[in-house]
Amino acid sequence: MNNLDIISVNIWQILISLLNLVILFLILKRFLFKPVKKMLAQREAEITGEYEKAAKANDEANELKASWEDRMQTAEQKADEIIREAADKAERRNEVMLYESREKAESIIRKAKAEAERDKADAKEYIRKEIIDVSEAMSEQVLGREINMDDHRDLIDSFIDNLESGV
Amino acid sequence: MTILYLILSILPIVAGVIIKVMYVPVSDGISITGAHVFFTIDLPLGGLPVSEAQVNSWLVLISLFFFCKFLTHDLKTRNISVRQVIAEWLVKSVEGLVRSNMGEFFMGFGHYIAAIMGLSACSSLLTLVGLFPPTSDINIVGGWAIMTFILITYYKFKAGPWIYIRSFGEPVPFLAPLNIIGEVATPISMAFRHYGNVLSGSIISVLIAALLTNVSKLIFGALPGILGDFPFLRVGLPAVLSVYFDLFSGCLQAFIFAMLTMLYVSGGFPEDEYFKRKRLKEAKKNNNSQVIKNTNGGI
Repeated sequence: MNNLDIISVNIWQILISLLNLVILFLILKRFLFKPVKKMLAQREAEITGEYEKAAKANDEANELKASWEDRMQTAEQKADEIIREAADKAERRNEVMLYESREKAESIIRKAKAEAERDKADAKEYIRKEIIDVSEAMSEQVLGREINMDDHRDLIDSFIDNLESGV
Repeated sequence: MTILYLILSILPIVAGVIIKVMYVPVSDGISITGAHVFFTIDLPLGGLPVSEAQVNSWLVLISLFFFCKFLTHDLKTRNISVRQVIAEWLVKSVEGLVRSNMGEFFMGFGHYIAAIMGLSACSSLLTLVGLFPPTSDINIVGGWAIMTFILITYYKFKAGPWIYIRSFGEPVPFLAPLNIIGEVATPISMAFRHYGNVLSGSIISVLIAALLTNVSKLIFGALPGILGDFPFLRVGLPAVLSVYFDLFSGCLQAFIFAMLTMLYVSGGFPEDEYFKRKRLKEAKKNNNSQVIKNTNGGI
């Protein structure tokens, strides 16, 4: 008889199958559960790390944003200041230019006035000379003789001066 | 490397088929016997017959070992392969099962439950390649049942021997004999349930095959030559039945065996008493150390 009976209890076979179960238990523990669980733990740690990193990056970004906003605000203030300064400067310059031009105009006027005065004086002198010459000639003609030129001249001068003061 | 592990995990099954073809004589007609015995090792208590059941369960062990290596080879935390998905799914589903049936205290049982399930299911599924299923040998399943019985008793003992003995006197002391019988019956019923299911499946398969052979002989026997001897009816129907008796029944029995193990172990474990005792022990320890301190201080 080469085959076992349908029901044949054998203590050694039972023992061996029990040991087989224990061996498989150890195999699964060592070669399936341990590596998989290790990997899962590793993955969890990695994910936690990633989350932490993301949170950190977010914080950093927020900080940067805040700082940029701050900077933007200060920049705006600065721009305002610059504009104001420029406007002030322009105004001052304007005033200076206005003052200078006024000054210039005044000097021109003054110069013109002086020139006119001088022209007037020149003209007066000329006229006086003419008058003297004419009166000399006329008196020469009237008197028929040559008068002392110098006396004559003084006379006319005093006359004209009287005339002027009289006027 | 990965492929090598896969080949190595299939190789034992192929070896089993080769051994069967070479050494096991083909039986014709209806013959319902146990496993074929290759040789017997002389040992006391009847000797150890190295039978098909033994050899096949060793082959399953080797195959599962390499399959584990195949699954867990080159594990990564991201961009995982299909192998790794399967490995993770196996581990997680077994642990989920243990957690929901036994609670957090027994989480270490995951390995044992996985071992029972894997060994039982793979052994039963050996019928798919025509090998003798080790689970239809009472000795194999009996060994597992005894292992489970040892575990049940161990966890019952955890709260102290007195509570273990007292648990037989519940709900009334005179039921103690019945309780003891029930205790002993647990592994026996587990073993016979599994063994009987698988064995009955193969017996029914043999019977149906024989029936179909005869019926087809009746119907097609008039055909000339070899056509008359060919059992036409055996072509499709046994395969359909095999889906139930081999595939479904095999997996279901593995699941039931694991389930019962979990329920018996966690059900027999006197949780309240265990934690009470643990607390008491700790309190005692603390007291002792305090007393020692006090005496030291006095000196």
